[in-house]
Amino acid sequence: MEQAKSIEYKGKVIDFPYEKPEEKDIPLEHLHQKMANPSTGRTKRIKDRLRYKHTAVGEFCEEGIRGGMERMRYYTEAYKASEGQPEVIRRALSVANILNKCTVLMQEDEFIVGYNAENPNFVPLYPELSHFTVMDYMQSKYSPQPVEEAQEIVDFWSKNSLLARGMGYYTQEELLRQFIFTTMEAPAFASGFNSIVPPYETVQEDGLLKRIELAEAHIKEAIEQLAAPYWVASERMPLFDKIDVWRSMIIIDKAVIAWARRYSRLCKILAENFEADPKRKEELLEMADINHRIPAEPCKGLKDGMQAKWYTYLMCHAIERYASGYAQKEDKLLWPLYKASVIDKTFQPMTHQQAVELFELERLKVSEHGAGKARLFREVFPGSNDLFILAVGGTNGDNSDGCNDCTDAILQAAINIRTPEPSIVFRWHPKGRLKTKRLVFECIRDGMGFPSIMHDVKGTNQLIYLSKFSKTGNGVTPEEAHDWANVLCMSPGHVGRRKSQKVRTEGAGTIYVAKTFEITLNNGFDWSYANIQSGPETGKLTDLKTFEDLWEAFRQQYLYAIDMVNRGKDLSRHLEIRFMQMPFVSSIDDGCMELGMDANELSEQPNPWTNSIGGIVTVNSLVAMKKLIYDDKKYTLEQLDEALHSNWVGFEEMHKDFLNAPKFGNDDEYADAIAKRYYEEICAGEMKKIFNYSGGPMMPVGQAVGTNVEMGSRTGPTPDGRFGGEAHDDGGISPYYGTDKKGPTAVLRSVAKINSEGQKANLLNQRLSQPQMRSKHGFNIWLAYMNTWFDLDIDHVQFNVVSTEEMKDAQREPEKHGDLIVRIAGYSARFVDINTYQQNTIISRTEQDFGAEDLEYLGVDL
Amino acid sequence: MSTCSKCKSFFAVPADADDYAEGKGDCVREEKDEKGKFWLSKPVMENGTCEFFKEKN
Ligand code: SF4
Repeated sequence: MEQAKSIEYKGKVIDFPYEKPEEKDIPLEHLHQKMANPSTGRTKRIKDRLRYKHTAVGEFCEEGIRGGMERMRYYTEAYKASEGQPEVIRRALSVANILNKCTVLMQEDEFIVGYNAENPNFVPLYPELSHFTVMDYMQSKYSPQPVEEAQEIVDFWSKNSLLARGMGYYTQEELLRQFIFTTMEAPAFASGFNSIVPPYETVQEDGLLKRIELAEAHIKEAIEQLAAPYWVASERMPLFDKIDVWRSMIIIDKAVIAWARRYSRLCKILAENFEADPKRKEELLEMADINHRIPAEPCKGLKDGMQAKWYTYLMCHAIERYASGYAQKEDKLLWPLYKASVIDKTFQPMTHQQAVELFELERLKVSEHGAGKARLFREVFPGSNDLFILAVGGTNGDNSDGCNDCTDAILQAAINIRTPEPSIVFRWHPKGRLKTKRLVFECIRDGMGFPSIMHDVKGTNQLIYLSKFSKTGNGVTPEEAHDWANVLCMSPGHVGRRKSQKVRTEGAGTIYVAKTFEITLNNGFDWSYANIQSGPETGKLTDLKTFEDLWEAFRQQYLYAIDMVNRGKDLSRHLEIRFMQMPFVSSIDDGCMELGMDANELSEQPNPWTNSIGGIVTVNSLVAMKKLIYDDKKYTLEQLDEALHSNWVGFEEMHKDFLNAPKFGNDDEYADAIAKRYYEEICAGEMKKIFNYSGGPMMPVGQAVGTNVEMGSRTGPTPDGRFGGEAHDDGGISPYYGTDKKGPTAVLRSVAKINSEGQKANLLNQRLSQPQMRSKHGFNIWLAYMNTWFDLDIDHVQFNVVSTEEMKDAQREPEKHGDLIVRIAGYSARFVDINTYQQNTIISRTEQDFGAEDLEYLGVDL
Repeated sequence: MSTCSKCKSFFAVPADADDYAEGKGDCVREEKDEKGKFWLSKPVMENGTCEFFKEKN
């Protein structure tokens, strides 16, 4: 590989020899294929045979994946049989019936056990959320079998699913505008797609037997209260519902314990009847012991902790209902158990290296997990099986450094095993120890695309700010505010025994801003894709005589979309509270346990956000229009109207001018001022006038996930020079592909002009020069960049460090590049698993070289 | 009769198990595909049967 070009800096010539000199002999296009270094033969074997359930363009990337039948069958069977019982009890009985009757299974070499379907190649389905999703599977090669049984289940849920219950609150016109999925995401009830931050802590610290005891004690107390002299209805009537909630908790927790113990029995049966290798036999017996105790009892060692976490994950994200994400502050959560096993060696004694293997095993388990998502959600996260993002680093409640040896084990495992899942967020704080930051750098330098970095102080302060809106007056304390992870890719949310986010109808839901801007130019009509009136009539383009007219029309369209999305979210929550209770989640949340409330209903810490995607295409379009039409008057609105409706064909000179108009990300005052105005006045400004169920003011999250391509294909030509169908920007605040031409620190300066306080999170994707990052100066430069980024008060950044040569080689010979990982927008994926269109957007991102001016700005000493 | 109770894959649920019921067992079968071996365990009753029946040794 060629090293980076030398530069003159502070009167010296700076060379960039590789930090590992042997790398100069590795062909550039094969670098990443040689990097994986699983720490044991076992993790290598599992990685070699992984059953990936990644998807792209709506299809599973590997053959043989199918929708499972068992979850649907047993859920529906018990739901029908429990007619007449309180709804929360029906939910508990239905989920318990799955756990009691489902197949449990294990694969070779596994240590962490637990599946969500009856076969390692199957994904579970959720007809009670959306029967449409099941119908979609039935019409594909992934159909659950037998089809007749699946049809019967769909017929039942077509009148009872969350989807069926939600439709009646909209006009046909409104339903069409949302279901067409152009300016806004379909209402939350349409797919039942959920996000959650499970209170892993209570399972780990208490165990479920203790949770059952607590619920029993609450019931006893409530029954005594009901029988006490002098009936007061207002105090006592609520107890009836609470008793039902506590009963539902007991039903489900008992079922979870019994389910885990079936895994324990399976381990024992395999050890005694199937396994010949004495070492594995011994391990299977150890696993039998763990799964008998866990999650019933508190965890005593790191192996216990990992198993308890996985069962909790499965229940909260895959079995009770589907939810995306892997939100946890893992190094804090597992630290006491890491300490017990690795440092004090009081239980399940092991070395740091053995802990690393355990984290590799976790990554492998996550990598082959499958989610029964609707087709659209299989399209918009290309290359992923689901969104898995865990957090590490940051600060503790006493403001001390949150990094510890467990953080390092988690990062080391990621470097060793090279899987895109789970992605990691590192919370950056000046106090973070250098040793850990070096590992963060190595992950990024080696092209993993993670950890993405979040500003620790900003995240903590945001939780404190939102706690002021708590409906119960019991939001996070300043100390608790330090305990946060990203709920999905980007948005901070509290983690802990209570007060965490439980539903996506609290945070998330999306509006697509570039499309919203496109229809603004057409009086609210979508001429390029859906051919319907998608928003209010806000005036023909030719009537928008001034830039302020344009701005106001866009503001109205934006407001319409965010209002619709948030109405859909709160309607869905209204339905979730009544029909989609989560007895297991409630049982492990201290607030729900104390108050006898379902997790959908109880809101202690607001965490309101709505994704606002495609802002930079919009900003660049506004900039181009202001410059070329309203200020310089080089073109008229009529000409622009005609050019856009012709997809710029026949308007080549004009297209060139619009393409060359100033673009965000170059420290250009003209462009950046409009960006600042958009993000502060419309994006954050309009959003904060909306208040959701939790009482919090809505905040925007800028991120594309993988929708930049999917939604780009539904968006016609835009005045920034985009052709119809081309990708959107990759989310948040990232400059458009290839348009940030003034170097990496110019990007930082542009981004820093926007007040990040109003944004819940805003994604910044940067692609850094691979030869510079792999040089002996790589870490120094990156560290200075990160410290500057922190001082500039930017809330987020994530990186690709992959060469164009290697990506192009992988397009030619994908079979040789299984370990090439790239950052999409909020998560990472194997390059070979994503569609060519998405691959090309990553190749077209500017590869930022640090020049002398950048180094000067960063104050690097070389 | 080729019932579960006589099958090689049948393992009676111990009396002290949470999910114990008279005649209930775990049906544990090994399967293999191109990605390797895996084992499935399903709750069954001793008087059931299926196409995978194999006499106990
Ligand atoms: S279900 Fe079939 S394989 Fe299982 S124990 Fe019964 S007869 Fe044997």
